[in-house]
Amino acid sequence: MSHKHFKDSPLFIPSSYLTTEANKTGSWRFLRPRYDEKTAPCAVACPAGEDISRVLMLASQGLFKEAWETVLVENPFPGVCGRICHHPCETVCNRAHFDEAIATHAIERFLADTASRNELKPRLDRLPAKRERIAVAGAGPSGLAAAYFLALLGYGCDIYEAMGEPGGVLRWGVPSYRLPSGALRNEIAQIVELGVRIHCGNPVGEEFLGRAASTHDAVFVGCGCGREHGLAAAGEDLPGVEDGLELLRKVAAGNGGALEGPVAVIGGGYAAIEAARCVVRLGGKAILIYRRRREDMPASREQIAMAMEEGVEVRAGMAAVRIEAQSGEFLLTLREAQAEGGDANAGTASGRAAGKTDTIRVGRIFRAGGFDAAEQWMLPPPGDGVLRLNNSVLVFTEAGPRVFGGDLVNTSKSVAHAVASGKEAAIALDLLFREGIDSIRPELERCSVGGRRSLSMEAHMNGPRSLRSSAVVRYSEINTDYFRFSPRLTQPRLLKGERSRSFAEIDLKISANLAMREAERCFNCGICNQCDNCRLFCPDLAVVRDQSPLGRRIDYDYCKGCGICVVECPRNAMTLEEEQGPEYRGGEKD
Amino acid sequence: MKKVLEGSHAVAEAVRLAGVQVVSAYPITPQTHIVERIADFCAEGAMNARFLRVESEHSALAALIGASSMGVRTFTATSSQGLALMHELLHWASGARLPIVMADVNRALAPGWNIWDDQTDSLSQRDTGWIQLYCETGQECLDTTLLAFRLAESVNLPVMVLLDAFLLSHTYEPVDIPDQESVDAFLPPLRPRIALSTSAPRALSQMAPPNVYMEMRHSIQKAMDETAARLEELDAEFMERFGRRYGAVEAVCCADADIVLVTSGTITGTARQVVEDLRAAGQKVGLLKIKLFRPFPTTQVREVLEPVPKVAVIDRNFSFGATGIFAQELRAALYGLSRRPEVFGFVAGLGGRDVTEKVVREIYLHARDNAAPDSEAIWVGLSEVSNGA
Repeated sequence: MSHKHFKDSPLFIPSSYLTTEANKTGSWRFLRPRYDEKTAPCAVACPAGEDISRVLMLASQGLFKEAWETVLVENPFPGVCGRICHHPCETVCNRAHFDEAIATHAIERFLADTASRNELKPRLDRLPAKRERIAVAGAGPSGLAAAYFLALLGYGCDIYEAMGEPGGVLRWGVPSYRLPSGALRNEIAQIVELGVRIHCGNPVGEEFLGRAASTHDAVFVGCGCGREHGLAAAGEDLPGVEDGLELLRKVAAGNGGALEGPVAVIGGGYAAIEAARCVVRLGGKAILIYRRRREDMPASREQIAMAMEEGVEVRAGMAAVRIEAQSGEFLLTLREAQAEGGDANAGTASGRAAGKTDTIRVGRIFRAGGFDAAEQWMLPPPGDGVLRLNNSVLVFTEAGPRVFGGDLVNTSKSVAHAVASGKEAAIALDLLFREGIDSIRPELERCSVGGRRSLSMEAHMNGPRSLRSSAVVRYSEINTDYFRFSPRLTQPRLLKGERSRSFAEIDLKISANLAMREAERCFNCGICNQCDNCRLFCPDLAVVRDQSPLGRRIDYDYCKGCGICVVECPRNAMTLEEEQGPEYRGGEKD
Repeated sequence: MKKVLEGSHAVAEAVRLAGVQVVSAYPITPQTHIVERIADFCAEGAMNARFLRVESEHSALAALIGASSMGVRTFTATSSQGLALMHELLHWASGARLPIVMADVNRALAPGWNIWDDQTDSLSQRDTGWIQLYCETGQECLDTTLLAFRLAESVNLPVMVLLDAFLLSHTYEPVDIPDQESVDAFLPPLRPRIALSTSAPRALSQMAPPNVYMEMRHSIQKAMDETAARLEELDAEFMERFGRRYGAVEAVCCADADIVLVTSGTITGTARQVVEDLRAAGQKVGLLKIKLFRPFPTTQVREVLEPVPKVAVIDRNFSFGATGIFAQELRAALYGLSRRPEVFGFVAGLGGRDVTEKVVREIYLHARDNAAPDSEAIWVGLSEVSNGA
């Protein structure tokens, strides 16, 4: 059977074997897109200035070690902060406008725990060794952070610590159900690995500061708030009235002892809440007495709620006015404070005068009202010759420069602020030694995250992060078409009943799977995660892959400036700007 | 192998047998059964084709233009509004000389919203450079689709296969499905004349200034000029292989006829019955079925109709401000003859209104009993309406 073969029909079509590259369509451009990595709001809110959007990007890719190291550049305590930081990063998370904020703290903790379980050693950039050596008074979070960052910058450090073990409030003030001592020890060990020497059982006093100049080029003072400043209640100095901090210290040392019956804890801050929760765990019936309303308590909402779940009775709006000893127990007189709209005067004498009173009988009383410096020399002196920075104070003495940091100078007293303090002190001393005092403020400004208070050590060390724009990404700048609703990680926890009987850590580990899923929710505000949308959407093939840090560049010979790449960038890592040259102002175009 | 198939599935079977490599389509009633069945074939592995899901008919054809430019066999299907949305790319496909095959299920255009049979959707695309082949039966749908690939690839022009909404697309009839081997012998793999390749990069469809554009258009017309003859040869080969043929036109009882009815699509089947009955009653009536509308088979039409005194064209379509479109084309085709039949143009069955034997018979009687039409377009069976008075 024949298969008809026809001769070719007439066919005359537009076709060219010449390259179209001769037509440099980039000359049509009035707007210029460029890669422009920006600052995420979480990084600005993080007192330690962690590069959270990058950390989460790496975590979402399963690059746990790299993610962990990215935290460590800015904060030596991911395992600690992942557990106890109040995570202001989550409060400002852009994702909260979409569904729910990222559980960044849970991922941070996961990264630290994973590194620890695998006995990973971080590879951190360090500057060459310097001849200056710095003494640090106090191995609390600010002193440890200062030494850590100084060590990264090449300085030798000696930390002098009064207690038998380093860690300060992290070791002696945070019970193990929130921060197991092992998690802290791991991270302190990494600081020691950098060559920092910690001299425990070695309290320093004022006289040490005087002679430090002979052994050290500068001193960092980060002694923390170690002294209860009192309740202003009659009888509070009676024998047997104890300090909440002391209870926490004993619990941390493993000799909290047993309690029974009603036990009063007076105060509404962090230490009071934890002391009350320890009372429950030691067998007592904890009654937390706070003079203002419950919503005025400085302790976090979450911790208050958990304390109540565990059995702590909260008596808010009651001021302790008198303590009397009676046959081995205490009679505690409470007076209802007038809740005048919850204002700060509610606890004043005039506020008390009008209130009803109540008397309770308790076996033990712990004071945890507020704390300040144990000794005067721990505080920066007033007056001139002092450089007051955001989280530290630089003082010039005859015995050399002295930096005060930590809770004693920070208005916000948190572990992340302590890290901020240590970092600021380390950068300030580095600048002082290397470039002189006048360089301090401009350089701190250059290293600031998003132009705000937090500092980036990576920026100070001129890492890639220093190239990032200080513009802070807003939610409206995220292209949410590229994200799906997905619920925030639910932190697995011990059950209520288990919690009140044990000092075991409440927040349980999460799997790598859960951590990655949570990290994937992150918008990665302002940074490129190699999604390649810019290249895929470019109608002119003007986005070209290359070996640059972002992996691609724009070929401006052919980019017409349509801006599609910028619009399709899900995370605002690009910027579209008007061309500035004279050829773009009304020049003749074909 | 004979199966009872609806017209849509007959088209789908042909697409499967043709070894189409890329299909892209967007669903629309009453076309959807075609691509649903093709999608099934792809999913089951009965077809080794890429099925590109797209967001519109415009994109469907655009995707095929890209695919066809790579030198692969392509197919899409649409209807009515979908075809209208493709309009820009219909021109592109023919201008780029790509042998894309499309099935269009003839459906009325909105508003009023109407999913039923009407040829205005495809006939209003007559100037886009696509070859158009109208089908009468389910078997013809299958056979025409196979022919369409061969024809398209032979002249490098896109082909539209037309089938009436529901009357063909959703009507089950016995259809002989040829075996793969026979189809492969008739329709070997595409040997493309246009195929982009990274090994020999070139640009297609770029700027064509006045000094070449006209020649490009003339080239399309020259290919169109060859199309009717090619179809006839392919028809003969098809007959040889499969025992069926259709022709660009089909004349039934026309040799001695006083009146010839001119039809396309499914009205033809009805008209065949009417002609048979009238012949039995002694009436000298014939039937001319027009299958090939573009290029218009002027030679064949003239040959059949030149000796006929009267012609009654039945149009299930209309060109506003003019007449039924087949009537218009037919008048133009006959104009050059020194002795021309009287052409009666009837408009019937728009928007799926039934064109029954009674309607066809009325049309015949009207043509028989009037010496000449009193207007260019005679609308059949209109009801009295207020017309907004």
